[in-house]
Amino acid sequence: MHAIAKIIARHADRQGVEVGEIVNVVPDFVMLNDRGAARASDLLRKMGGEKVFDPDRIVVVFDHHYPPIRQQDSVSQKKTREWIKEQGIAKFHAGEGIGHVIFPEKGYAFPGALIFGTDSHTVTNSALGCVATGMGHSDIASYLAIGYNWLKVPEVIRFDLHGDFRPGVYAKDIALRIAQLYGEDAAPYLGVEFAGPLVARMPVSERLVLCNMVIDFGAKTGYIQPDETTARWMAQRAPDRRWMPETTDSDSDYGRIIDLDVSAIEPLVAVPHDLSTVRSDADLGDVRIDEAIFGTCTGGRIDDFRVAAALMKGRKLAPHTRMMVNPGSRETYVQAMHEGLIDIMVEAGATIGVPGCGPCSGCHQGMLAPAENAITNASRNFRGRFGSPDANAYVASSATVAASAIAGRIVSPAEPPAH
Amino acid sequence: VYIKGKAWTFGRNVNTDLIFPKMWFRPTYESGEMASHLMVGIDEEFPRRVSRGDVIVGGQNFGCGSSREEAAAAMKEAGIAAVVAPTFGRLFTRNAINVGLPIVTSPRIDEEIAQGDVIEIDLVQGVLRNLRSGYAVRLPPMAPESLRLIEDGGIAAYTRRVLEERRRAKA
Repeated sequence: MHAIAKIIARHADRQGVEVGEIVNVVPDFVMLNDRGAARASDLLRKMGGEKVFDPDRIVVVFDHHYPPIRQQDSVSQKKTREWIKEQGIAKFHAGEGIGHVIFPEKGYAFPGALIFGTDSHTVTNSALGCVATGMGHSDIASYLAIGYNWLKVPEVIRFDLHGDFRPGVYAKDIALRIAQLYGEDAAPYLGVEFAGPLVARMPVSERLVLCNMVIDFGAKTGYIQPDETTARWMAQRAPDRRWMPETTDSDSDYGRIIDLDVSAIEPLVAVPHDLSTVRSDADLGDVRIDEAIFGTCTGGRIDDFRVAAALMKGRKLAPHTRMMVNPGSRETYVQAMHEGLIDIMVEAGATIGVPGCGPCSGCHQGMLAPAENAITNASRNFRGRFGSPDANAYVASSATVAASAIAGRIVSPAEPPAH
Repeated sequence: VYIKGKAWTFGRNVNTDLIFPKMWFRPTYESGEMASHLMVGIDEEFPRRVSRGDVIVGGQNFGCGSSREEAAAAMKEAGIAAVVAPTFGRLFTRNAINVGLPIVTSPRIDEEIAQGDVIEIDLVQGVLRNLRSGYAVRLPPMAPESLRLIEDGGIAAYTRRVLEERRRAKA
């Protein structure tokens, strides 16, 4: 059995499960974001449920529309605060950042865990060796009412990553390379594991980027086998959390194993309006950038700020370019301030927003006008995601976004021009 | 479950941002509101042009991307009789089943159905026919759990029943 199947089996109170089997599972933690909490609590009532089944397993995070800019969201968040109190839900985070950044930081995600969330990027957590998957609001409301929900045991494919990064290349470029090679439906309904010597050397932050992106290959969850790096992370982040990793029995537990040498990968960019067309910076020609959008559950962690600030230090944004920065979490924000990274970005001309989803949530500061071009270290460049449906968004690594913000056009971070 | 309706065709990798753009997100929706934004990321006129009983036909990986249930719920609310594609995004699949929207997978089906064709689907017998071209194909059997959820009218009805059974067991 694959570790993913074993994790599902354990949470279904079963000895074993087969790929393709549908089982009822009890998750360790369920994340409701502001939208999810509002919709799911409403749907819970409509399903005839009064009390949530187990308030201790529920974590509510306001990240999409916080702080609210529309009155309907203010009203809805007030209702959710009252609902949380009524239900005895103690784990509540507003303004502390994005659920998928907070979960690993606060130890809600841990090896061997099963996590549900009302958001597709819940898969991010699977970098710690757990099963983490998004669900719709009715799905989550049903869990809230009855304490379990169904999962299909997925087939798993494994990417073995080896070789050395070229200068200016990061985990994000690997994810874009996979989209380039295998498409947006590279892994429909599958588990996607990352392994190999390169992953063994990767910090947790880069592993989180890889697993964050699997949803945009169609996957149900990512997976990285817990190792010493994972154990150190857990010891620092959640020393009191008891966790038990699972291990995969053999190579025959994979539907497919794909070897990927990263040495040949250049800094890559996904061009509008999806991830299926990916080019190297050099092949793009001259793409003028009106706005750089920096942060999100893909690129809003402290390592992203370190990479960006190193490229931006002592430089200014191009005169025609603006930059919207939303730290992924309050902790990231504080750390970036302590290290002077925020100073560097603000002095360069960037605007710092609230820890949270930022413009990627579709209704926060930094929306694009028609015909504007943006580059972002978020995961998606879907039409209309950052404002006007007639704007163009390019997805790249944190380094490429920072270098391009300075240059005012898309450039490789390997050769940042002075400005 | 027997379905007969007019087809509306869409391309590959149609993500849920296009099916239900987030600018229309609201914490709660009035009746008919979700349907009024269906597919507006691709065709602003779609909500006015589509009729109850029509069928949506997508290309590979239809409904990929964000978990938003509004994508499937808006189709259900608009009276879409079924959604058909070679493959679907996982979250869209779950959401469709949960809201009681029949979801039909068949390889290369997007090449066999053109805009405006009349499609006949028998979910119990597992057959899809294109009444214009005469094309007919057997459908892979749905997981019995999924078919039951759709027949129940979705996950809300299922959950209500489980809660009711638990209350009775307690009493």
